[in-house]
Amino acid sequence: MQGFDISRRSFIGAFGAAAAAGLGLAGCGGQQAATEGGSAAAGSTLSGSISCSGATSFQPLVEAAANEFMDANPDVSISISAGGSGQGLSDIKDGKVQIGRSDVFAETKLDAADVEKLVDNQVAIVGMGPIVNPSVDIDDISTEQLKGIFTGEITDWSEVGGSAGTIQVINRKAGSGTRATFEDAVLAGATVPDTFKPVAEEDSSGTVVDKVSQTEGAISYVAFNYFDDSKFKALSVDGVEPTQENVESGDFNIWSYEHMYTTSDADEVTKAFIEYMLSDDVQANLVPEEGFIPLTDMQVKKDAEGNVTAA
Amino acid sequence: MAKLMPKRSLENVGLTVTGLCIALVALVVVTLIVMVAQQGLATFLQDGVDFWSFISGGNWIPEDGRFGALPLIVGSFSVTLLSTVFALPVALGSAIFVVEVAPGFGRRVFQPLVELLVGIPSVVYGVLGLSVVNAAMRAIFGEAAGTGAGILSGAIVLAVMILPTVTTLSIDALDAVPNEYREGSYALGCTRWQTVWHVVLKSALPSLMTAVILGMTRAFGETLAVQMVIGGVERSMPTGLLDPAATLTTALTSGLSNATTGSVQYHALWSLGLLLLAMSLVFIAVIHLIGKKGAKKRG
Repeated sequence: MQGFDISRRSFIGAFGAAAAAGLGLAGCGGQQAATEGGSAAAGSTLSGSISCSGATSFQPLVEAAANEFMDANPDVSISISAGGSGQGLSDIKDGKVQIGRSDVFAETKLDAADVEKLVDNQVAIVGMGPIVNPSVDIDDISTEQLKGIFTGEITDWSEVGGSAGTIQVINRKAGSGTRATFEDAVLAGATVPDTFKPVAEEDSSGTVVDKVSQTEGAISYVAFNYFDDSKFKALSVDGVEPTQENVESGDFNIWSYEHMYTTSDADEVTKAFIEYMLSDDVQANLVPEEGFIPLTDMQVKKDAEGNVTAA
Repeated sequence: MAKLMPKRSLENVGLTVTGLCIALVALVVVTLIVMVAQQGLATFLQDGVDFWSFISGGNWIPEDGRFGALPLIVGSFSVTLLSTVFALPVALGSAIFVVEVAPGFGRRVFQPLVELLVGIPSVVYGVLGLSVVNAAMRAIFGEAAGTGAGILSGAIVLAVMILPTVTTLSIDALDAVPNEYREGSYALGCTRWQTVWHVVLKSALPSLMTAVILGMTRAFGETLAVQMVIGGVERSMPTGLLDPAATLTTALTSGLSNATTGSVQYHALWSLGLLLLAMSLVFIAVIHLIGKKGAKKRG
């Protein structure tokens, strides 16, 4: 009777799926093309284009700075795309962009040979702190206790001085810069056992905020600029409040740099933009406005291995 | 028009155009497979990850260089099967109602309604799942559900997503059963339900299987909505339906933004892609097999 019976609808369905996949691919391609841009020769007035991809955490800061920079230099165009720290480092390594944003040191993700070709421009500091659901009745926690919680040794709030209740650990995804910073400062090299399973591993800080505010007994960590007393409670660590002053003085240890990596042979426009990012104009105004900590008042510094020394 | 194109060259133009279309599609498919295979196999050939431990390892912790994809495979299959189990009875029931019980209402009102569901972008399902399904899980299961994210939440959201696909295809399948079969059954004195159960469903079985497998293919490949509700825990094996987990697709998407090109982590993600590709080939092969069998049975 019928040779091959796939109905017309299923055929159209399959075709539609293929077409949608095609569109998706085309979309990616377009984005890629948009970030590619040659740079014109720089004269006394700057002109040219910069493309910048990578970490989303401080993208708003870079966007705000880029807009002001473009207002001052009408012949410069800066295109900023997202993609995560990994993508930012890949792109700058592969020469696809002029600036790669990352919230971790390139050393942690790239081969030493590749790192050598890059210039690390640290443009701001971001502080992070542990946050808990408002139902949790403690306000301070020690680093030791945090370590116990995030390695699965401490599972009940009563073990850290709260009233009884399961600790629901919400992590960021492995490879996230926020998680790397938090674990560097808190775990101090301890490995997390295979048996430990958080209740969720989230892709973004926004979701972490939602989940912590909704889940009773939840604990997680976010950057200071996500802090919101109406949704969750930020804990002090070893008695030190998570504030800008404490990060600057070195008392509060969970913080990292926001990096804008360039190649060592970066063109004039790119260098000028990086200089602008580090200027007082940006550091004193935009950086705090966007919830980050300017480099200017830091009394300590960190290296790629996480060692803190006096600045 | 003054002159018509000579018949022979018109034929040639038609042949060339359609031939080119075929060539283009074939080229895309072949390129895609070659690319994914090339990057995906690099994990094993270039980086020296053991294939067997990749398939059977119980811990996906890329930053420690541990690439055991089994939790992801288990995650993918459990949400796919579970969502099919949830969706199939409902889809089949409504298809029977539309075709056998009330075709007028079914065709005019119900079917367009269901088809509307097909067009809703998956992110909408994800957002709904995040706010409704996860909250419901927390309300029902309390502390055991954690944030509410887990395999069960993922399966429920997926069930709603594949429901329209399975329903419309089931309607088509039942509709394709020749009316003579039903008339024959009624002539023998069967009731409507007996006819539906013993005659219509039985003879539509191969097409119904196709409907189920196409639904499963969609569930297996769905990423965004699942990612939002499943919890995304890749590091170890899920041990219960309320456990947070991850699927092959969610691990692939969320891993990509943090991996740098050329690294083992990056290649391992492509290997997941290769695994997905292989799985979809299996699904398609099964559909073809069922189609062939069904055709043979009906002579």
